[in-house]
Amino acid sequence: MKLGVHTKSVIVLTVTCAFWAAALAVVYNVTKPIIESTEKVEIDATLRRIFPDADNFIEEHEHYTSLKEGVPIGYATISRGYGYGGEMKLLVGIGLDNRVVGVSVISNSETAGVGSRITENTFLGQFIGQTADNLKLRKDGGQIDAVTGATISSTAAVEAVYNGVKLLENMTGG
Amino acid sequence: MSRVKLKELTKGILRQNPVFVLVLGLCPVLAITTRVENAIGMTAAFTFVILGSNLLISTLKKFIPHQVRIPTYIVIIASFVTIIEFILHAFAVNIYTQLGVFLPLITVNCIVLGRAEAFASKHPVRDSIMDTAGMSVGFGLAVITISAIREFFGTGKIVLFGYQLTPTVLSSPVGGMVLPMGAFLTIGVLLAIFRKTGVLK
Repeated sequence: MKLGVHTKSVIVLTVTCAFWAAALAVVYNVTKPIIESTEKVEIDATLRRIFPDADNFIEEHEHYTSLKEGVPIGYATISRGYGYGGEMKLLVGIGLDNRVVGVSVISNSETAGVGSRITENTFLGQFIGQTADNLKLRKDGGQIDAVTGATISSTAAVEAVYNGVKLLENMTGG
Repeated sequence: MSRVKLKELTKGILRQNPVFVLVLGLCPVLAITTRVENAIGMTAAFTFVILGSNLLISTLKKFIPHQVRIPTYIVIIASFVTIIEFILHAFAVNIYTQLGVFLPLITVNCIVLGRAEAFASKHPVRDSIMDTAGMSVGFGLAVITISAIREFFGTGKIVLFGYQLTPTVLSSPVGGMVLPMGAFLTIGVLLAIFRKTGVLK
């Protein structure tokens, strides 16, 4: 049977698209649980580092309550900021006194060697013990020193921590 | 016969190097060459996409009508890109986040579509494999060279998958080398050296 060129074009494109849609669905479903579990493992390890005393964590929509013998000792949340290279994801943890106990960068797309230095402890360590009022860069009247040459990345990180802490304050009841 | 095919392989490495001679797809080259690790990740993703899609296009070339060849190629290329995206996200999260938007952008990388249109759609499968393998090696060598220079001068050392390859020689690295201008400088100087010395024409 001889098909017209238009009919053939339609058939080829339809078959190609249908085949790849099916193939992508398969790959998506195979990789999805792995993608989710690797991020979960990462967040779990970070929570353990921020709250070394806790023996259990309850998760609810990216909010985490750390428990010790069934009693809450702190709260954590995933907070997002928009830096020089795109979205960054930070895990922010506070104690019952609303002071930051730890901050960790889960993912970021900042420039390697410049903005990516916000993941280093010299920068992140500054957040520990701070309350929301001090969570600003020093030039804006806060207590945090920006990473040299990476003001945009630093500002994004500080804002993400601030937003995270504000959100968590509601959980501790003010 | 075998001599012809070897030529298809080697031409991508020197004579028709996609980055230094054809000067194609420079956008991801500029963007991801901040670290050697990223360059290797990008090369792996690039190789997977160009080899897979061009192999398929070369195989199916008789069935794809001329009028719809470009949409068909793009669907095939985009699918391979999406697959490698899922795979990297699942098994190499660090590289996935570092490559960021440049991973999906392989779809519109002109080397990939360029080889499909200029070579795979007109040549037998075996030659097409040789052609894309050569292009991948050429692309890989180029981005790894550029990223090694940029990482070394920009951060003072080269760190690969957690292992420090070179001693920390520069105590105050030239930060600009990992910024976009460092990429232009590196590529420009390399191109000049290669042309002047006659390594590439």
